[in-house]
Amino acid sequence: MKLLKKGAEADIYLTKWNDSRVILKIRKAKKYRNPILDEKIRKQRTIRESQTISEVKSFGIPTPLVYYVDLKKSSIIMQEIPGSPVHDLPDSKIIKVSKEIGKLVGVMHKNGIMHGDLTTSNFILYKNKVYVIDFGLSQKTIKSEDHAVDLRLIKEILNSAHAKIMESAWKNFLSGYKSVVGSTNYAKIIHLVSVIESRGRYATVV
Amino acid sequence: MIGLGIESTAHTFSCAILEKKGKQGKILSDVRKIYRPPEGEGIHPREASRHHVENSAIVLSECLQEAGVTIKDLDIVSYAAGPGLGPCLRVGAVVARSLASYYNIPIYPVNHAIGHIELGKLLTGAKNPLVLLVSGGHTMLLAFLNKQWRVFGETLDITLGQLLDQFGRSIGFASPCGKNIEDLASSSSNYVLLPYSVKGNDVSFSGLLSATKSIVPKSKADACFSLQETAFAMISEAVERALSFTRKKELLIVGGVAANRRLSEMLQDVCKRHGCKFFVAPQKYAGDCGSQICWTGLLESQVKNGVLLEDTFVTQSWRLDSVKVDY
Repeated sequence: MKLLKKGAEADIYLTKWNDSRVILKIRKAKKYRNPILDEKIRKQRTIRESQTISEVKSFGIPTPLVYYVDLKKSSIIMQEIPGSPVHDLPDSKIIKVSKEIGKLVGVMHKNGIMHGDLTTSNFILYKNKVYVIDFGLSQKTIKSEDHAVDLRLIKEILNSAHAKIMESAWKNFLSGYKSVVGSTNYAKIIHLVSVIESRGRYATVV
Repeated sequence: MIGLGIESTAHTFSCAILEKKGKQGKILSDVRKIYRPPEGEGIHPREASRHHVENSAIVLSECLQEAGVTIKDLDIVSYAAGPGLGPCLRVGAVVARSLASYYNIPIYPVNHAIGHIELGKLLTGAKNPLVLLVSGGHTMLLAFLNKQWRVFGETLDITLGQLLDQFGRSIGFASPCGKNIEDLASSSSNYVLLPYSVKGNDVSFSGLLSATKSIVPKSKADACFSLQETAFAMISEAVERALSFTRKKELLIVGGVAANRRLSEMLQDVCKRHGCKFFVAPQKYAGDCGSQICWTGLLESQVKNGVLLEDTFVTQSWRLDSVKVDY
């Protein structure tokens, strides 16, 4: 078993399961967190992640296959996607792939799923296909406000981690998104994104 | 180079004098007077600004005396130009402008939030940190990239300081309430489940505030304990997410809430897990003070001349991620 990544909330291992290479994602107890809260969070997210990761497949979102879920250990065994996270791609590639990401997010929203953690590390490019991972914070919701929260997060990430290419990447993301959700929904959600931004601290000039 | 910094964004009126030699900065004096609202009430901007007006002359002269310098020794004057409460900001700006115009000293408007970060870096020696700025005005995760501080996560509604203060006031404490809540929380270990809202790297506290108020009738101590555990766990998770995303190897906490021991303890554990160095601004300089303004002004003076008197603005809303940092 090889530790691939110490993520924010889980450790990711590459291991063997029934003779094939698989990913083991385990949400270990966090010492700093109150045990009652910690247990609740880990269990809830493990359930949510394994459910959503399979559910979104039914409407065509590429995600890893889930092989096994262990609620006692808060662990999930899933298919390995050996590509590279969009975060690590060269800038020109990120700009290009942003449109596809926009489409994928549009499809999820259209089907009532909010991802909850739309960062560029949660999309993996593998064999010219973009896979979506990390559904621990996902929610079933058709509320436009929730979908807008998703968009605001990826905008924030582009604006910080990928500041140099923010404008073109965001433009591509939006055009992909719009092509899926349609102009009416698009206009509504974009408006809500600016409402959420204006609620932020010191966002507008008083 | 000797600078005077004036801070008056909220409850604190402070003047500080620092000496800068190369990259080294030394605090020669830092004098403050803090406006205290009556118990159960928040800052009244008019009353706070009156407090600042009444105390400004005393604070200024004490700070000069303590540092052993005269106004004529000053190379620059900087003041906090925002973000903050308008009436309070104007007091600091007036003092700075008066000195600048009468004695002909270059003047620098400084972003208060950048001040927290720069002073934190100076005092802890952090080089390239992920910064957690937690105070009454801010709850933000920041990293420096491409000449600007970029936001990697922040509160979507109220700040951690506001959460603690608004809750504290509802049970009769006087702002700032962080210390009182921390003391009362340490007398309980009974955790009541409260709404936990982390959205990616962002957090939202308003639901938590209402829910915590509703468990007060059972036990104030349990409410304080559960509030701290939940809110700080949210912050810690957001920090973990930002650390793992940015791959920074240093964490620096600045702002008034940095003084909370439970929060520090949790974040230290986070850093251990991610093999990351942990820095926290010394308690005396974590909250609002003139030193943060003075040091940032001194840094700016390396690359910029002072501004014209007619450009010495104050602005209540001034996001730190809109400031270009050239030094």
